[in-house]
Amino acid sequence: MAAIAILVANEILSTVLAFVLVYYFVRAYQLTRSLYLFGLPCGFLLLASSYVFLGVSLLYENNMAVSEMFLWLRLIMQSYGFAFIAFAYYFSSKTNEASERVLRMISLPSVVTIILVFGALYFTPPFLELPPASVADEWFKVLNLVFLGYVIWHLFRHLASPHKEAYGSVWAPLAFSVLALGQYSMLIWGIDGSQIAFIFAHIARLASLTLFIYIYHSSGRVGSESRKA
Amino acid sequence: MKVGKRSRIQIYFDILRILCEELKNDKPSLTRVAHITNLPYDRFQKCLNKLIQLDMVREQDGKFFVTEKGFECINEYERINDFLRRMGLLP
Repeated sequence: MAAIAILVANEILSTVLAFVLVYYFVRAYQLTRSLYLFGLPCGFLLLASSYVFLGVSLLYENNMAVSEMFLWLRLIMQSYGFAFIAFAYYFSSKTNEASERVLRMISLPSVVTIILVFGALYFTPPFLELPPASVADEWFKVLNLVFLGYVIWHLFRHLASPHKEAYGSVWAPLAFSVLALGQYSMLIWGIDGSQIAFIFAHIARLASLTLFIYIYHSSGRVGSESRKA
Repeated sequence: MKVGKRSRIQIYFDILRILCEELKNDKPSLTRVAHITNLPYDRFQKCLNKLIQLDMVREQDGKFFVTEKGFECINEYERINDFLRRMGLLP
């Protein structure tokens, strides 16, 4: 019971941190009005919802049907979240109108799919049982690692570009790497049931979300301080 | 000032920032600010009026000043830009 309480508390904390990031990215979108940036608040919002669904599934662990439904929702939302973040990075280097059209074309079917998944999971008759979420979990984790791998590759390429100041730019690849390590640890836990991997995965997730918030709070200090001076 | 297609907010921010830099001179020339921000003078005037209306710029004795709210706006915009740069989302 105590373990469940700790896990639920961890999900609540992760949700709060993810919502803080959603707020920051919405502000960024409001100020810049670049459509590709909209992928980030969407991505973190989906991640936040996945943490909520995991928390709810833990609370309903005695009711297998409900718990399974929320675990499936969690898997889908999480992968969509990482996909949105990866798309935002992909389109960040392609800011012409054509890429914005493509982004719209991707976003709309994604939203429709998410709504359909919700509907399908809610209205699926009991005799059409889905396979257990734990079976699909490993495949979804691999998919998440692919999306995160792309983001990390993009960030390291960005970091290696000439005229790039190194200070302050290492935190984002670090944060995404820690997030990917968390996913990898969950994959390991799914395969061999290692408790250390399970605990590390949860710590890594919290650490990465905290790192993103740190990046926001450490930004813009130099400019404002020099202006005050 | 080399500029691509800018959003309205980016234009306001550019005006505020250039006005702030030009304030280091005794009396900033509006023509010069319009020129640096790469705006036709009539459009620049409209933007400046909007900034005055938003209480980000104040006119006093024929001189233009960036208000505290204007400074806050510049800081917030720079913070967001720096954040996006650190996140690898801006060149």
